[in-house]
Order: sequence, then C-alpha cells, then structure tokens
Amino acid sequence: MDELNTDIIQGTLDMLILKALSLEPMHGFGIARRIEQVSRGVFKVNPGSLLTAFQRLERVGWLNSEWRQTDNSRRAKFYRLTRTGRKQLEVETTNWNRRASAIARLLKAVG
Amino acid sequence: MSLWRQFTRGLRVLGNRKAADREIADEVGHYLEEATAALVAGGLAPDEARRAASLEMGNAPAVREQVRGYGWENTIDSLFAELRYAARRLAGNPGFAAVSILTLALGIGASTAIFSVVDAVLLRPLPYPNPEKIVRVWEQAPDGHRMNLADPNFDDFHTQNDTFANLAAYEYGLSSVTGGSEPVRINIAIVSSGFFQALGVEPFRGRTFAPQEQRLRGAPAAIVSHGYWQRYLGATTDLSKFHLRMEGAVYPVVGVMPEGFDFPPGSAVWTPRELDPEIPSRTAHNWRGLGRLRDGVTVAQARANLSAIGRRIKAQYGKDADLNDAAVVPLADAMVGDVRTALLTLLGAVGLLLLVACANVAGLLLARTSARRKELAVRVALGAGRGRLIQQFLVESFSLSVAGGTLGILIAVGAVRALPTILPANLPRQQAVAINTPVLLFALAAIVAVAVSLGLFAAWRAAAGDLQQALTAGSRSYSGGATQRFRAFLVIGEIAATLVILIGAGLLGRSFLRLISTSPGFSQQNLITMEFSLPIPWGASSDPTSEQSGILRQIHLMDDILTRLRAIPGAESVGLAGALPVAAGDNLADGTFLLLNGQKPPANFDEWGRMAHNPSQAGYALYCVASEAYFRTLGIPLIRGRMFGEQDDWNSPHVAVISESLARERWPHQDPIGQVINFGNMDGNLKPQTIVGIVGDVRARGLDSPPSPVIYVDYRQRGMHGNSSPTILMRSALPVGEIVSAARGIFRDLAPDAPVKFSTFANEMGGWLADRRFLLLLVGLFAAAALALAAVGIYGVVAFSAARRTQEIGIRMALGARRSNVLLLIVGEGARLAVLGVAIGILASFVITRLLSSLLFGVSATDPVTFAGVAVLLSAVALLASYIPARRAMRLDPNTALRYE
Repeated sequence: MDELNTDIIQGTLDMLILKALSLEPMHGFGIARRIEQVSRGVFKVNPGSLLTAFQRLERVGWLNSEWRQTDNSRRAKFYRLTRTGRKQLEVETTNWNRRASAIARLLKAVG
Repeated sequence: MSLWRQFTRGLRVLGNRKAADREIADEVGHYLEEATAALVAGGLAPDEARRAASLEMGNAPAVREQVRGYGWENTIDSLFAELRYAARRLAGNPGFAAVSILTLALGIGASTAIFSVVDAVLLRPLPYPNPEKIVRVWEQAPDGHRMNLADPNFDDFHTQNDTFANLAAYEYGLSSVTGGSEPVRINIAIVSSGFFQALGVEPFRGRTFAPQEQRLRGAPAAIVSHGYWQRYLGATTDLSKFHLRMEGAVYPVVGVMPEGFDFPPGSAVWTPRELDPEIPSRTAHNWRGLGRLRDGVTVAQARANLSAIGRRIKAQYGKDADLNDAAVVPLADAMVGDVRTALLTLLGAVGLLLLVACANVAGLLLARTSARRKELAVRVALGAGRGRLIQQFLVESFSLSVAGGTLGILIAVGAVRALPTILPANLPRQQAVAINTPVLLFALAAIVAVAVSLGLFAAWRAAAGDLQQALTAGSRSYSGGATQRFRAFLVIGEIAATLVILIGAGLLGRSFLRLISTSPGFSQQNLITMEFSLPIPWGASSDPTSEQSGILRQIHLMDDILTRLRAIPGAESVGLAGALPVAAGDNLADGTFLLLNGQKPPANFDEWGRMAHNPSQAGYALYCVASEAYFRTLGIPLIRGRMFGEQDDWNSPHVAVISESLARERWPHQDPIGQVINFGNMDGNLKPQTIVGIVGDVRARGLDSPPSPVIYVDYRQRGMHGNSSPTILMRSALPVGEIVSAARGIFRDLAPDAPVKFSTFANEMGGWLADRRFLLLLVGLFAAAALALAAVGIYGVVAFSAARRTQEIGIRMALGARRSNVLLLIVGEGARLAVLGVAIGILASFVITRLLSSLLFGVSATDPVTFAGVAVLLSAVALLASYIPARRAMRLDPNTALRYE
C-alpha cells in the first residue's frame, strides 16, 4: 500500500500557523488539529516542528503567548497573532497565491 | 524591534534556564494530553489513546530538546558548558594548569612591559601638533658627518629656504639659576625666534618672547618649564615678580610652558638666542637646528632645498666653510637615534621568550591531548562534530591564555612601575612609558594569538590520525608516536630560540665586561666629584681690563676653595678640571689648534683663522683646563717633562701639557716639549702656550672610544671659560657623606650662590654605563627565563618518552642490559634534541647577532668564545634535564617494568 505523503510543504508551516490563528487564539494541539482538519488530512503536523516554529514566530514578533485555562479546564499555552503577524499573513498569502497560480499555469501548459 | 525581542527573550532564557525548560515541558505535556483526549473522544480506550498519541508525537524528550535548541542563547550556553568543562579539567590537573598559566604569564607579561617602552619611545607620535612635520636640521660635511649650525650658515638656511614654515636654532646646557626659591644647577635652553612655533606649543601661562626680546642686546626674558614653575616659583599665577639670575644676567620670567613640554629634553628655562651677538665664523658649529616643514613639503624636498643652499655657501666661501650639504631628519627619528637598535633587540629577545613559552605550553597540551584521545574518541562516537571538538580546544586554550595574560598584564603593570629605576637616564621620552590603551591592545592581541594558535594546534594534533583506533587500541600502544615526535620538534625549536637569546646576552655581557675592565687611564676608586658653576663669570664684560680682573678673582676664589678642601681631614688630594673625563662622554670641548713653529703669534682671530688653514700648522685636540693636582688626584702619570708649577701664573709665559697620544700623532718624529702652540680659539685668549710636559692617555670620550688627544692648560693662567663645567675631584678613603658635608660647608662659606652637584666618580661612571647595563640586565633575564623554560620542555619530553618505554626498558634489563646502558639510552634522547636545537640555533644566531654589532664593544658579532660557551651551557642544561628521568628509568625494577601498563 502506498503511503500517503502528509508532510507539510517546505516553508509553509509558518503561514499555516498564522492562518489558523487568524480567527482566534489557540493552543498548540488545537492549531495542529485545525491544520489537519481543514486540509482534510492532507497535512499532518509534526509536534516538534510545530512547537519550535512557535518559538521562532514569537521571537520574530508575529505571535504572543499566554498560559490560560482551556475549555476542559487544563492549563495550556495559547498563541495569538500580533499586528505584525497579521500583516505577515497577508504578505505570505499573496506570495503563495502568486506562486501557486504560476505553478498551476506551468503544469497546465505542460499537460 | 524583532532584534530587540530576540535579544531580550534570549536573555530571559539565559537568566532562568530552568523556568524556560519547565515551560517547554509543560507545553509538550499538554500537547500530549490534548492529543490523547482527542483520540479518546474519537472512541479509543484511554490506554490505547495514550499509546497512540505518544507514537504519533515521537520521543517526548527529543521534542523538548528540539524546541529547546532554538535561539542564539544556546550557542552561549554550550560555550558556558565547555568553559565549565574546561575549568573542571584544568582544576583536575592543577599542576598542568599552574605551569601553563605561569609560563604564559611570564611570556605575555615580559612582552607587554617591553612593548610599553617601545610604544612610548619609538611608536607614539611626539606630543606636538602635526609632529611628522617637525625636523632636526644639520650642516653636513663632505665626508658625510653631521655638524651643528654655524651662525652665518643658519642665517642663510633661514632666509633662503622656501620649504620651512619655521626654522630655529637652539642650544642647551647646565647652568646655575638663582631667583627661584633656591639656587639650582639646571638645564637651560637658548632658542631663536620660531622655536616654539616650530614645535607648535604655546605657553600655558604668560607669553612667548616678544620682538624686543629677540634682538641683539634686547630686553632679557625667560620662559620656565611647568616643573620649575611648580617647584621653584610656587606655582604663582603672577609671574611679574620673578627674575632669574643666570650667568650674571637677570631675566624676568614672562611665560610658563605647559606640563609635559620637554624639549630640548630636561630643559627648565628657555631664553632668547638673539640677545647675544652672532659669531661670524662659518665653522663655529654651535647651534642645533629645528624646523617645521611647510604644508605639503616632504622631508626629502626640504633636504634638497637646504643642500642647495649648503653647496652655494661652500662655493662662495670655500675654505672658510666646511659644509657642502645639509641633513634633515624627522625629530622623532633624531631623538630616538641609536636607542632604536637596543629597543628592537629587547623586543626581539622578549618575542623569542614568548615563543619559547608558547612552545612549552604547546608541548604540555600535546602530552595531555594524547592522554585524552580515548575521551575524545568517545565524544566523537557520541556525535560531537569536528567543529565542536575544535571549540572545546579553543575554549581550553582561551582559558589558559586569558588567565596567563591577565596575570601577565599584572606583571607588566608591576614592571612598568619598577622601570624608572632601571631605565637608563639617557633613554628619550621614557616619562611616557605607561600601561595605556595601545599597550593593553597589544597584550590582548598577544593573548588571542596565543590562544588561537595553541587551540588550533592542539585540535589539529588531536584530530590527526584515526580517532576510532584510539577506542580499540590498548592503552600503551596509543600514546601517540606522532605526537611524541611533534613534541620533540617543539623542544628543538625551543632550544634553538633559547640559544639565540643566550648568545645575544653572552655577547652583550662580554662587551660589558670588556668595557668595565678597560682602564680609563687613571684609577677610579675613592674619587668624589663636585661639579659646580663659578659665581664670577668669564666673559661677562666686553671691557678687557675688567674681564681680566674677573678671571683673576675667579682664580683667587678657586684657590681659596681648593685650599680649604685640601684641609678637610682625610682628603688625600684635590684637583680641578674643566670637565669630568669619561663619565659624561663628551664634556670636553674640542677643536683645531695652531702650531706656531717659531712664527709670530696671530694678532687677532682673523689672522688666527688664516694661519689654521695651513694643515702643517694646525692640529686637533680636546681642550681641558686643569690644576696641577688634577693629575695627581686622578693618578695620570707624567711621562716626560714637567707639570704645571708654582712659577706658572697669570703673568709668566703660558704653558701646556699634552697627552701621549697627541704627542705621537702630531709630533711623530720630533720632541713636542718646547713647541709653542695657540689654542686661544677655545677661551678667547691669544697668548701662546709652550708645551712643557707629556702625560699618560685618558679615554676622555668614554671607555668605548680610543684615548683622545688632549691639551691641558693651567686654570691659573687661563681661567675657566664658558664651555667648562668646573669639577673638583677629591681622592679620599673616608665615607663620602662625611667629606660631602664638610665640603658643602666650605662652598656655603665661600660661594653661597654656586650650586654644587656632589657625586662619586663610580656613580657618574655608572650613569654612563646605565644603558648598556639596562640592556644586558633585561636580555640576561629573558635568556635565563628562556633557559629555564627550555629545561622544563626537555625534561617533559624525555620523562614522557621514558615512561612510554618502561616496558621496553624492562625487557632490555631482563635481557642483560646494564643500568648505565639504560641511562645512556634515555639521556641520549635529550642529547639528540639538544644537538639538533643547538645546531639550528647557532645557524640562526650567525644571521641574527649581526644586527647587534652596533651594541657590541671589543667582541665580534660571531665571537667564537660566546658561541661555544653558550652551546656548552645549553647542552649541559639539556643533559641535566634528561638525566633526572634517565636516573628514574635506570633504577626501575625489571619485574615491575615488564608488567607496566
């Protein structure tokens, strides 16, 4: 049986995290699950990469974090977009769309 | 903004690593719980859900490490870890750490101290604005030697040049100065207009000289140094009440130079040169030249400019001028002069010492590295990269080097404090010697260079060869043959470098011994010297009769003083001379004298000059005013003829006594006694002198010069002239203090205004030898230190090798080798190193010691005695250093040795 490729495309994890957080603050697992659900299981997030990405994005200033109670009353670290994070999401989305449509055109032309 | 965030967050993590770790662990734990909860919600049993979640996440600690690994602070963290590790390792081997740190401290400290001197004397720009434009100026003779400037020549240089913004003449010398809080004998400088402008320095209080003070017979004025102002004028703001009395004239004080202004070196008072008449002779080289170049003019252009003027003067005045060229040299170079070679020698010696120190520490590091190969192999096996290994060695060498360097800087600070007591007095600019930023930067550079070279060297040696092999190999077989060879190379280099320093020290030492065992021509023991200036000046008046009476009064006073001094109990003999021979080097004036050969004496100096143009009528000699007792006091023997006597006084025919070398030089086939000469150009008195005696030679110009031709004249006939530094010499076996206090009382009675400098001849001589002694002392110290380090290095290599060969020695002994064979085997190793090192060192020395030639006296730069002696000494030390481990090996019990692992 062929193993389905569920790796996140290189360099897009940051954008996916920002996108997931653009609606509401979430904790790590929530973000992972959101990415999985919305992509309908195409992307599965590696927890190590995800948590490291949080460190990076926080340092760069796109995310802020705080410890809060979750719905089922556990303490969890919630991440929230900052203003620069929101701007960055726009930039990355535009970039991505430009590139994705370019690739789509290329594939069509070859096909 | 984000940089700031990076920085502060990183700092926060560094500040509390535990809290940061806990937060990461919590987050990872929570992630796992949520994942489990989600799976349970999906219908799995809790146990199964937990297992599945863990499986999906992977190894939780690994995740924590991954997250934790992000951020710049981790690099620092691992550096700290390495540092702690290095410190632990060094502490675990305190002997190694202490020896390495002390060795490096010695090397870095000594180089830093010497560099501070080199920096102050050679490197730092002079403390004047645009110092590169300030130059010294000389006339140059056809044979290339430089001469001071004669008045008319200076005037021509001054008015005809188009390359100098300022050109000034100056001269300086000791003089008595009264008018301050006490009379002192101190350096005064006579400077022409433009002098202070050439240096670009303004007085700190008051003003420079005004035009009416810078013309013939103008208003006298004096500018004083900051030091004199503070010490003798009470640092008073109002200068108008101070009048200094010098050489019979009174000078109102008009200005104070700023603190630190010290040119010509040691000057306390400056007076205008223009107050006195010029001497019309073009060969009376009385003035030093100082100038500031115009903007955009190079030293070469200025020199070409003055050379052309010099040639013109020669063409115009022919035999009346003896220059045909000019010399222009940047002031900084001119001031340093021949000190440069000595300082560079020191720097070279201390550099070699630092190399030897580094080689020693490198050797120690190598020994440890080979012992640590197993540990390194384990680290590599556990995944440490090559970069990580190099980092580890660098951290270790940096810890050693920084510890050693810090200690070294402390040593240098102490040394610089102590330096003033051993620095020779004639070393220019030594007040500026200090541990300052450039010196600290030098020390820092030395520390970094040592650390990086040692660290990379050790890492390179450690990584050489197959580390995995170290894991599998037995303990003994992998002590590293290659490493041992490398240590041997290091020691050979060390021996060679040590030999070079030792030979340098040996050559300097032999020169020094030669010098002090050279007889100056008289006996030096128990001689007390009293240098003073006469209160009654010579030539203070232009009126001949009052001048004559001035000289007579001067002679009278001298007679009184000498008579009273002779009466001091314990005074064996008391003589008077116009200068102290040898000690001060060139105190005696020299010049051309006239041989009359029965001709009529010249009526005036013009005629004198014309007669002196004829070489058959001219001679050259030093000029010394002396009393009859001077020769007895110094023990200068009378060879032939007679000394000055009672019958020689002011009115009788004037007489002269000459030195043996002058008799040999000027009258090789004649008897000089009875010859009539005229040396009146020295004191302005045209009365001819008849030679009545020949005395033994004196090395008047210094012990390193051949005996000079001298003409002695009687002070009771000629008086002390302006160029003299009258000096009374007393021979007495009594304690100096007793004599000095008695003599001080006599001077106070008879000449209260005349400051006197009491000393002993040995002391004055010591001053003359001070720079040689200083150089010898330091090079000797460095040589001794290098020798000690080399001995330790040899010992280390041989001892290590002997330990490695314990089993082999056991086998040899079991097979019947005698103890002496074992001894030879081990000592032979040290001997091989020594022979190679000495051979390389001797070859290098042949090249290097030539650079020392100008510092040597009576010894050639390749003196075979020194070379052989040093080679033997170094070999002996090497053999001794290898004898200690050899003896240990010899006493081994073969049974134990065979089982040695």
